[in-house]
Amino acid sequence: MRNLYIYVIILLLSAGIRQSTYAMDGKIGGIYFPQAYDDPDPDPQGDFKTLVIPIKRAGNLIIVEAKVDSVAGNFVLDTGAPHLVLNATYFRDMPPIMNQESGGINGEVSNTFTTEVTNFSIFDLYYKRLKADVTDLSAIENGRNIKILGLLGTRLFSKFAITVDVIQNVMYIHKLDEDGFIPASELIYHNPFLKTTFKLMNDVIFLKGSVNKNTTWFAFDTGAETNLLDYRRSKKILPVMEVQSTSTLTGVGGSTFQVLTAKFDNLIIGDQAFMKNRVMVTNLDNIGKAYGHSVDGILGYDFFIRGIFTINFVKKEFEMYTYK
Amino acid sequence: MRVWRLILLVFALLLSDVIAYAQNRNNLIAAKDEFILLIDLRSSKAEMDTILKRAGMPGLSASKIQKGDFYHIYKEGWKMIQNNGKVVQFKKPITINHDNAPSKPFLITTDLIKTEGIPGYPGEVSYGVNKFSRVTVDELPSGITRFFLPGNTDARKVMLSGSFNTWSLTKTSMLKTDSGWISDVKLQPGIYAYKFIVNGRWMSDKYNLLHEEDGYNGTNSIYYRYNYTFQLAGYNNAKKVSVAGSFNKWNANEIPLVKNGKSWRAEIYLNDGMFTYRFMVDGNWITDPANTKKVTDEKGVATSVINLGETINFSLKGYADAKKVCVAGSFNGWKPNQLFLKRVNNEWVLPVTMAAGNYQYKFIADNKWITDPSNNCYAVSDGITNSFISVGANHTFRLKGYNNAQTVRIAGDFNNWDPEQYTMGRKGDEWVISMRFKPGKHHYKYIVDGNWIIDPGNKLWEPNQQGTNNSIIWVDK
Repeated sequence: MRNLYIYVIILLLSAGIRQSTYAMDGKIGGIYFPQAYDDPDPDPQGDFKTLVIPIKRAGNLIIVEAKVDSVAGNFVLDTGAPHLVLNATYFRDMPPIMNQESGGINGEVSNTFTTEVTNFSIFDLYYKRLKADVTDLSAIENGRNIKILGLLGTRLFSKFAITVDVIQNVMYIHKLDEDGFIPASELIYHNPFLKTTFKLMNDVIFLKGSVNKNTTWFAFDTGAETNLLDYRRSKKILPVMEVQSTSTLTGVGGSTFQVLTAKFDNLIIGDQAFMKNRVMVTNLDNIGKAYGHSVDGILGYDFFIRGIFTINFVKKEFEMYTYK
Repeated sequence: MRVWRLILLVFALLLSDVIAYAQNRNNLIAAKDEFILLIDLRSSKAEMDTILKRAGMPGLSASKIQKGDFYHIYKEGWKMIQNNGKVVQFKKPITINHDNAPSKPFLITTDLIKTEGIPGYPGEVSYGVNKFSRVTVDELPSGITRFFLPGNTDARKVMLSGSFNTWSLTKTSMLKTDSGWISDVKLQPGIYAYKFIVNGRWMSDKYNLLHEEDGYNGTNSIYYRYNYTFQLAGYNNAKKVSVAGSFNKWNANEIPLVKNGKSWRAEIYLNDGMFTYRFMVDGNWITDPANTKKVTDEKGVATSVINLGETINFSLKGYADAKKVCVAGSFNGWKPNQLFLKRVNNEWVLPVTMAAGNYQYKFIADNKWITDPSNNCYAVSDGITNSFISVGANHTFRLKGYNNAQTVRIAGDFNNWDPEQYTMGRKGDEWVISMRFKPGKHHYKYIVDGNWIIDPGNKLWEPNQQGTNNSIIWVDK
């Protein structure tokens, strides 16, 4: 009888996996599967052990230069994006390879499609073929007055670790040893003050933390120029918030939504406490849908400015170091 | 029980606030789906403005509220819950649980965190003089600018990045020599910011004493590409010669002239415009003996004059019987009797040197204001149609076809989308207008006989809030 249970569980699990592999869009156990690819991109190539890349900044965004075929330009390092995203302004004529219905957010991603780029490179790191979403990124360009060709999502670095130093404005892409670690001889920073594992769900980094002793799952998103907190979640973990400002912004389909800016103490990530955290509080349902997983909060610029950070995508470890 | 806990929490927070701001109890708190706003009527105007701004009511009159007039606060949906004559408490429900916030954090934050200008691109200056402890950037006889990074010969790769190459990290490689790294760049006169990138790491030019903060914990080195040479012949026995003028607020200690053979010289970057200047020779002011253009100020002091910019040749055919013809426009404050045209070969002509910019103008023939019949680009200002000219234009809009259209206009973020302001001129089979823009991104549309269209000749466009699209251009520095 016990074997039968195990068999049924395995059958259900495999059905779930199969469904996730072929489903174009769906929701399984609270997890959205916006897109599934059955033809993985080939591994990137590069003749380096550690690639040192200068970064630029625009507002609180991290800008990395990359090349699509022969077109070089600015890309936002966006750990909140699962893979490569291209700005429709410059890439809308790319041939679509499948229709994109991710997230299903009305009026916002209706013009998104998936394409395939060849000969993509970030300095000496070369991708022969990459799937990419093409969508409108004009909001970043117009908000920051910088030409943006696209977003670099996490899957581009899935075989690597990356380290970002936003004081020296440099990023390192580390090749990993067989065990998934940065080779000792290539380590640039030592003795992290924060070391924690993370979950990679639909290629988005989720860090477990706590706010006022309430367990909270944060997406780590370098494309977020502030920390963000879901309002409903905030009511539980911060029942009384001192509000710094309130704003009403234009949201999906021209409707308005409200954002509060607040500060809170007692954010713990790993075993490290962070005080005086600025956070914007609003409804994160649609951001959760885009991530493919509901989200309590997002750790963005206000968090990652606290130190040099390393993300090891193979070991799924996040580390933070004191600035030199 | 939970309600009591919440009340206790609010009380504790308010108490901590009282301690923190003994004189000012203004606060805004979010608790239990409500904002609680505390306004201390004894607050200063600045404190009052701050709390009203925090509560999303930035324009409200502090003095009215201090006098107990809460009409506009009620109008914003707040309800009074307590008023002890000193501190007033209001509440308002929080309406945040709508599922219409965007799906990407940057769509929220780019609207909320405003950034000004474009970092890394220095603003315009009227003049500039370089300052090096060792000259690392210099002009070659060919006019090309050579950047030099001394040493670092162990480096694998050095790049030059700056405002002249859109801060590209890949476009401008430096070449290794036996003493350092060089790169040759063609620069127009102006001010530029730059850094070196050595093995992937940013480095400012330590020999360049001019720099500005890059906004991100570092400094950019500043270089001026010169376009003007002050020269004073003779004065062989002088010990010290300098130049000063309206461009540097007559600071005679800033720009020394260096003896070079039989004359004294100083190179400088000067922006477009009209400047007055004099030389100072061993403590005595003199005008420039080689410059015939001089003006005398109200105190009777003579100064030399330079006028830099592009020369526009205004011409008006006909009007043979006119006694006088002038040109006036936004370039001279519309003063009618200042720039007189001369009659040459059956037309009235006048060359005028102007700084780069977009201008409106008219001719005045015997006190009659007329648009320029040879220019079919127009601009409207205060309801009046004038001729339009762009000096130093950095973009030309061209719309092919539309042969039967009566008027084709252009509007964009550069004129607050005013559909009446700029009329394009018909040239050959195109509608054309040239304009000068600040560097950066600009949105626009054409209006053909009242119908808004995006530019069919421009592949770059993006969606707008109206659900239609706007054409875009990027203007480089």
